[in-house]
Order: sequence, then structure tokens, then C-alpha cells
Amino acid sequence: MSRLTAKALIATALVPLIAAPAAAQDYGNFEGETLRVKLIGGAQYEPLYAEISKWEEMTGATVEILSRKNHFELDREIKQDIAARTLDWCVGSNHTSFAPQYGNIYADLNDLIDAETLAAFVPLVLEHSTVDGRLVQLPRHSDVSNMFYIKSLFEDEENKAAFKAEYGYDLAPPETWSQVSDQAKFFANPPDFYGTQYVGKDEAITGRFYEMLVAEGGQLFTDDWEPAFNSEAGVRAIDWFVDLYNANAVPRGVPNYLWDDTGLGFASGTVALNLDWAGWSAFFNDPENSKVAGDVGLVRAPKGSSGKRTGWSGTHSFSITEACENKEAAASFVTFLTDHDRQMIEARAGLLPTRTAVWDDAKGEFAADGRDFMVEVFDTFSASMSEDAFTPPLIPEWIEVSNELWPRLQAAMLGDMTSQEALDEAARDALVIMEDAGYR
Amino acid sequence: MLRYLRTRQAKLTPILLLSPALLTMLFVVALPLLFSLYTSLTPYRLTRPETIETFIGLRNYMRLFSDPDFWSAFGRTILFLAIALNVEFLLGLGIALLINRITWGQRTLRTIMMFPMMFSPILVGFQFKFIFNDNIGILNNALQSLGITDQAIPWLVDAKLAMFSILFAEIWMSTSVFAILLLAGLFAMPRDPLEAAKVDGCNSWQVFRHITLPFIMPFAFIAMTIRSLDVARAYDIVSVMTGGGPAGRTELLWTLIARTGYENTRMGQANAMAYVSTILSIAFTYFFFTKLVAARRYMGGAE
Repeated sequence: MSRLTAKALIATALVPLIAAPAAAQDYGNFEGETLRVKLIGGAQYEPLYAEISKWEEMTGATVEILSRKNHFELDREIKQDIAARTLDWCVGSNHTSFAPQYGNIYADLNDLIDAETLAAFVPLVLEHSTVDGRLVQLPRHSDVSNMFYIKSLFEDEENKAAFKAEYGYDLAPPETWSQVSDQAKFFANPPDFYGTQYVGKDEAITGRFYEMLVAEGGQLFTDDWEPAFNSEAGVRAIDWFVDLYNANAVPRGVPNYLWDDTGLGFASGTVALNLDWAGWSAFFNDPENSKVAGDVGLVRAPKGSSGKRTGWSGTHSFSITEACENKEAAASFVTFLTDHDRQMIEARAGLLPTRTAVWDDAKGEFAADGRDFMVEVFDTFSASMSEDAFTPPLIPEWIEVSNELWPRLQAAMLGDMTSQEALDEAARDALVIMEDAGYR
Repeated sequence: MLRYLRTRQAKLTPILLLSPALLTMLFVVALPLLFSLYTSLTPYRLTRPETIETFIGLRNYMRLFSDPDFWSAFGRTILFLAIALNVEFLLGLGIALLINRITWGQRTLRTIMMFPMMFSPILVGFQFKFIFNDNIGILNNALQSLGITDQAIPWLVDAKLAMFSILFAEIWMSTSVFAILLLAGLFAMPRDPLEAAKVDGCNSWQVFRHITLPFIMPFAFIAMTIRSLDVARAYDIVSVMTGGGPAGRTELLWTLIARTGYENTRMGQANAMAYVSTILSIAFTYFFFTKLVAARRYMGGAE
């Protein structure tokens, strides 16, 4: 072998080694920079942060994590920073429901991140991350709810026959919310077993009511921002909850339930049908945590009487402050945290990705590993994320309006008010909020 | 002249010596109080810092005084305070008297008694939220297994039961404050009057009623003052267990204030509410201090 050939061979052999880093994204060089960040904390969010050191190695920058709190505490802290004018950090965790409240503290990412990178994200999710025409968030992972159910209950021949005799149609995983209502009453055997359940307080019940309102053909506000939820569709939406509560088809404590309660309730095997977020999928099918593991079915969220499916959705995201002194480094950092490989790490844990390619790649990996249930989860959730998902109105007043709505929704559930009275009263107070805010 | 200067210096010395404390109080207490009083007269929103410059007079207070939700929360807070303080006092007294009687293992028991206070109120809230959960909670499961009920009792939903549940959690966590202070009172009590009373033929109830109880009442009033300030600010446990709901049935002043101030970002209005709550706390503190002085005077008279 001539010397030249040997050199050529060595050079050829080295190509992949040299090309590999070149093919991976170049995150820039920010030697000596310190990026101050505030991130959402919690078990399911932490594995991503273990990757931060890789970005530090690649760029020479250092990341200083100032906060790692749950979203509600982080929200409080950010509001305090705005009030005290101490926005001396660069990157913060954000959420589509919270983002509109923060005014213009966050930079438009269209100016900071190249169009090619942005094109890799699901377009609908980018649309949800936009406030007043400005892309203030880079989506990290999305969420939407679908219907989990105990499979064996629907396969049981006795159940099938009894249900058909009572309701006149076949027992099958529900396609409409009215079927959910029938099936929930059919399966309920309180206090040992319940047909379904729902979260009953805070923004959680407002969101559930809102998606039901949309599925019933109603709307929260008119085009000129007058509250419109006290409509016939609104009453139908709230009556779905009230009816199941009065029929004892849901646990008596639901007005006090939040996400942990519904998730743990379904995993305890005492609830037949449970509309819940994708993040619970792996938990429900894990024999160590769940009594229904191996017996969990999943269908897309049912339709309301308008033919539209419920699809209240939210997205966790990262934002860059306008006050940030090195926005380029911050943009590199958030791009890294949401790149293909990082999203694969989160997808493996069951979080729904926001990059189109990761949906397919994660599903492919689950299929190769024989995790059939997770393949089904990704199929179902990808359909609802692209076809059914919608956010609450992206206005700063959303949480405040929600705080007027949910105590009234509870009052209707508990029989303190009729459904119409509850919605009328909430609409009256919501109108004051909208007027105070200058919408009308 | 020299004498005049010396006298003047002597007069200034206490003020100079006190000045670090006075300045600290001024910066840490008085200024923030004045600032929050001012913000309660503005439409201040956390997310729009410029709103702090708009003066709207007593508008926040007027809104507040005509808001039935606020007055319900106000009344409920007083009821919550009254029940929590009385039950904690009675239980604390019972525990202190029992521990005072034992001779072996008293220190260990005293330490164990402090355990509930060592937990963060948020943890206590979560613990009781799951104990009182109607479907998967331990309490309902136990009651159903023992055959006491075949119903799922909605502990955190029914108006009376929900108040009972948050009171239970609050009392569980803080009864030991009373027990410890009353126990300290019992330890400090001189033996002579007790022995004299026994010699005079008093029975146990008479000794307790006329000697022990008056002696430890100043301690009880100190505990009540401390706890009244704590309970009037009760937030964590209530927020975790019920969030003030359902339908406002367990709404206390501070769950309402926190929601208005942080979630709705109406800090001006929240500060107006907080000022009314502060006046409530001052009223309770004044009441208990009056009682404390009276109890001390009574003891003085008894001597």
C-alpha cells in the first residue's frame, strides 16, 4: 500500500469522526459567559437538566440556576421580579397559560432563533406559543388529555349485555361525552367503585369546563370580549359535571380534586374512565404503582354535542428575557434544551414532544422495544395534539377570569346555585375584570 | 457649661444606645408597613409596576367593604381562630398536666410531643389531604373496613366537615405550642401553695381550679397571643387541603389575599385586605395582653 493510499484511507476513516460534531448543531462559543436561569422543578422535569453540563462543555458558558420551583411558585417569583424590576436573569421556564400575563418582559424568538430550527417544531404548538404576534416561548413539551379506561370492564360479556339492556346501545370505549355519562353511571358502585372523576378546583376545573363548553359549541367570550359562557351551551357543559356528581357516579370529594387525586384514583383501580394527561400513561401501566397496569385502554377524548372533541391543551416552554445581556447565548441554550436528542430523553419518560420528528422517532423506539402501550399512547396523543388541541384565550386576564369561574362551578356542583345562576354570576364578575382591563 | 454638656450627653446616651434597634425597626417594620399602606391606596398590579403611581384613595377599601365574599372570609377566619385556640388550649393543658405527672421518660415524651411542629405546614397539608380523601383516603377506608359506615364521607367537600378537617390538621400540628408553654408554667410553679392547700384539705379539683390554673393562665395567654397571630395568617395547610373551596366554604382571609395578590396580581387590593387582617390580629393581641395583665394582677393579689 503506497503512502498516499494509506493517508487517503486514514483520512476516509476519520471523516465520520470529524463529520459527527459538524453534523450536530453548532451551539456557538460563549467562553466565560454565565447564563442566569429560572427553571420549573419537579420529578418529571429534572432529567433534562442533567444534560445542561453538555451545553456548558460545548459552549464554554456556565449556567447558574437561580430557581427550580413548581410552576405556580415560579409564576409568583417572576411576578415579584417584574414588580421589583429585578429581571436580571436570561432564561425562564414558561407555559402557554401563564405567558400572556407577563406583558413584554420576554423577547420575540423569531428574531433570535433561525427559521430552519423553528420549522422543525409542530406548527400548531408554535402558534400557541405566540402572544400578540410575538413568539415569546420555545415549546418544550405539550400536553392534552385523552380518555383512559379499564379494558376488562368493557370486554366483560355480562357488562356488555347489562349495558345494552339498560341503555339500548353496545358497550364500547366512549366516542361522545354523553356516552361517558351513561357508562359512568352504569359502572358506578359507590363507595367502592366510581364511573369516572374530574378535577374540581382552581384553573383545572375552569379548563375542563372550558373544553366542554367548546365541545358543546359554546364560547368563553364574544369577539369583542364580552363573557359569553353563560349560554345554553355553557349550561349544558356545566350540567355534565353536575349530573354525574348528583348521580354519585364520581367520588364525593371531586370538588377538591387536582391532578394527583385523579391520577392516583385511576391507578388505585377504583375508577372506570379517566380523562387525563399523557404524562400519566407510563405510571398507569406500571405494576409497581398501578393496580390497573396491563389493563389500561386509551381512546381519543370524546366529542361534545357539537361534534367537536374536547382538547384543552397547554405547552411547557422556555422564554428569554428582553433584559438578557447575551440573548445569543440564551437562544443557543433554549435551542439545545429543545433539540431532537433532548426531546427524545423527555419523550422516553412519556412527555409529549413538540418537534415533529421526535413524535415518529420516539414511537419507532417504543415499537422496537416492544412497548406497545406507549406506541398506542403516542398514536392517540399525536392525533389529538394535531387535530383537537386548543388553548384558553391567550390574554393576561385568563387566570383572573378563571378565579371567578371555578368557585361558581363548584357551587353549581354542590347545589348551592343552579347552573344558570352560577354562570350568570361568574359572567357578571368576569365582565368587570374585562372592563377594568380596558377590553370594553 | 461642662456640667451642662455632661447632662446632655447623659440624656443622649440611652437614645444613642437604642438607635441601632430603632433604625432596624424603622427599616424592617415601619417602612414596609407604610409602603404597603400606600399601595393599598393604588390600583397596584404586580405585572404592571407603573400602576403603583396612580393614587385612587380609598377605592380598594370601599370595594372590599361592599364585597360579601371578603366578609364571609373575615367571619370564617374569626370562627377558625376561636375554635382552634380553644381546642388547642384544652388539649395542650391536658397533655401538659399528664406529662407533668410522669416521672420516667418525660424528656423523651416532651421531644416526641414536638414532632408535629417539626413538619412544614405544606407537608402537613398534603398528609391530611390524603388522609381525608373520600375515595382513596385512609380514614374513609378505615371507617368502611370497620363497618362504621358504608358511605364515602366527603371530608373535604361538605361545608362543616371541610372546616373540621382543616381545623384538625391545624390543631394536630400546633397543640404542642400550648403544651410546651403550659408545661414550662407547671415546672415553674412553687410547691408551697400546693402543699399548703393539701394541708388545708382542698381536693384535687379545688387545687387545680384555684391554684394551678390561675398560675399557668399567664403562660396560656402568651401561647394564645402567639398562636392567634399564627392562625390568623393560616394559609399553607388550607391552601393545600382545600384551597379555600369548595365554593368558598373554607375560604379564610389569607387564601383570599394570596389569590387576589399573586394569581390575580391585584396587589393593591390584596394589601387593603391584608390591612384589615392586620387590624384583626392587633385586636386579638390587645385582647390577650389585657387578659395577660389581668391574670398577672390576679396572681399578684393572690400572693
